[in-house]
Amino acid sequence: MSDFNTAMTVATSGMRAQAARLRVVSENIANTDTPGYHRKTLGFEAEMARGTGTGPASLVVAGPVRLDQSLLDSVYDPSHPMADDTGHYDGSNVDLLVEIADAREASRSYEANLKVFDQIRQMSSALLDLLRK
Amino acid sequence: MELGSIVSRHYADTRPATAAQPQSGDGGMLSGAAADFAATLQRGEDAAMSAMTGSGDPHALVQALAQTELAVETVVTLRNKVVEAYQEILRMPV
Repeated sequence: MSDFNTAMTVATSGMRAQAARLRVVSENIANTDTPGYHRKTLGFEAEMARGTGTGPASLVVAGPVRLDQSLLDSVYDPSHPMADDTGHYDGSNVDLLVEIADAREASRSYEANLKVFDQIRQMSSALLDLLRK
Repeated sequence: MELGSIVSRHYADTRPATAAQPQSGDGGMLSGAAADFAATLQRGEDAAMSAMTGSGDPHALVQALAQTELAVETVVTLRNKVVEAYQEILRMPV
């Protein structure tokens, strides 16, 4: 496998990781109004890809999903079936602003990986164009 | 004829000099490259199949197809170059 192929594999791993991140963000946004929902966070880990023929390459993989253990939002709604004596119940600790920012960041990173992928394709075809007249 | 036998003997003597000599190194490298090419094509087809049946990852599909495209482009360019060289030899005045 050439460097081009390895670079394509690395860019694809980046896109896959950002897609996983966006999935977690969408789960958080969908559950904003779910009582007792803890927001999920996703970490990234580097993984060495061996056997590429051009030395080990660091791929990125989505790490384990963790739950944000910060305090749940206390919502005042006495008519809610889960409300306690004071009329409050535990909502979710999802902050929409944070989630939107995270989604935007995932989108930008995805675009960067996509650009790299396209760049590799252009470089390889430009190289082969040298052999054509 | 005397002359005919001399010519034929001379021809028989010089024939081994122009015979093709198989080289062990190049054959192995070429067959390895061909096997690598076939494996790349196979990966692309497998990814396309699993994407069409709805079980594949679109990233894997794009990656496999781009790598297949790169491999096919390389092979086609090389083949064109070889055919061009062959035709150049054929056009050589004898």
